[in-house]
Amino acid sequence: MAELSFPLPDLGEGLIEATILEWLVAEGDQVERNQPLVEVETTKSTVELPSPQAGTVVKVHGDAGSVIAVGDPLIVFEVPDDTAGIVGTVPAEKAPARRVRLSAVLDDD
Amino acid sequence: MSETLSNPLSPAAGDGPAAPAPLTLSMQGALNRALGEVLEDNPKALIFGEDVGRLGGVFRITDGLQARFGAERVFDTPLAESGILGMSVGLAMAGFHPIPEVQFDGFAYPAVNQIVSQIGRMNYRSRGALPMPVTLRVPSFGGIRAPELHGESLESLFVHVPGLKVVSPADPHQAYHLLRLAGSMPDPVIFMEPKARYWQKGPVDPADAGALEGARIARPGRHLTLIAWGAMVARCLQVAELAAEDGIEVEVLDLRWLSPIDADGLAESVSRTRRAVVVHEAPRSSGLGAEIAALVTERCFNTLKAPVERVTGFDVPYPSGDLEDEYIPNIDRILFGIQRVLEHRRG
Repeated sequence: MAELSFPLPDLGEGLIEATILEWLVAEGDQVERNQPLVEVETTKSTVELPSPQAGTVVKVHGDAGSVIAVGDPLIVFEVPDDTAGIVGTVPAEKAPARRVRLSAVLDDD
Repeated sequence: MSETLSNPLSPAAGDGPAAPAPLTLSMQGALNRALGEVLEDNPKALIFGEDVGRLGGVFRITDGLQARFGAERVFDTPLAESGILGMSVGLAMAGFHPIPEVQFDGFAYPAVNQIVSQIGRMNYRSRGALPMPVTLRVPSFGGIRAPELHGESLESLFVHVPGLKVVSPADPHQAYHLLRLAGSMPDPVIFMEPKARYWQKGPVDPADAGALEGARIARPGRHLTLIAWGAMVARCLQVAELAAEDGIEVEVLDLRWLSPIDADGLAESVSRTRRAVVVHEAPRSSGLGAEIAALVTERCFNTLKAPVERVTGFDVPYPSGDLEDEYIPNIDRILFGIQRVLEHRRG
């Protein structure tokens, strides 16, 4: 298992910080990629940040009302070592299943 | 094919320090280890491509190598595959051994001009004055639910280009040793990594490569030869296990080197089993299976009990993830191909 920390991303338009309104996940939660993590408010708008990563939430930085600067740590995930790349998913290893059966009279010559 | 050919990369027993014990690695880990050793062995070896440096590659194959060898030897490039391969041509001319990565097989298309018209023929054009020791790593084939152009089966494109070698490993041990070998070759090698097999762990014996030339018998059998490469080898091994339940002993031939192709190895196996089925992900028409069927027919016509059967992708663009299970040869399609061969009677 490895820990991955993500900072508050640049939310655009020259914003340098955001205020946390509500965490939508808690420490210990298993989250999927693109699942909403947190609602933050900037001077321009209120946005939900999607998770950049699937994994288990190990730590969230800041409570409701806290101001976080762009680039400061926001959330830490624990992810399995065999995590997929940025694109695609790890194929599931499943027991081979079949419908076709073989039948042949093998003339062993 | 010969099991007796020695591998120049394998340290001889009793020569130097004690041989490292066999390891259990994923193919990711095996490739990463091989790349580190290639960089250690050859100061002229360079790794570059999209996100291979700071990030360590989208599949983590180059993880940690920039920290270990520095950003002058392991570095990120702009998102421009023709530039990545064009730069490889110049670096190879200047005496380096470039090991570029094209991040996904479908991104190789913009680089085909550099690969075909420069890398493949520079040695020929210069009458040997300008060899092209370029090891091009291409995460290849489908199976990971990726979007369009992130899963392709390009081998036919490259095996048709004289001057290129093309190889695809099937498991971590093969991946480790074939990449070390490719990274030491004076020729351009297209190294097709089966991305669906990146995460499965397997034994890797760094001290004992086994023979690395030509094809490899992944499972012996006497009734039929199942020919595959890359990710399809693991599936064919599953099929062979299922076929054994029905009393059919299937030999699985892991082709490994797609160019030059091991015609002798193919003929050796099929002349024993007298039946052959070739499996690949690429579209059927003019796929590598057609070449294999022709080679086997030329060499084994009199002993074949049935025409060589092909179980392949369809003649459509390689689909995105939602449809790939319908496209990639599955266990039942391969079993059905085997059954067709078993049932064949000369009329």
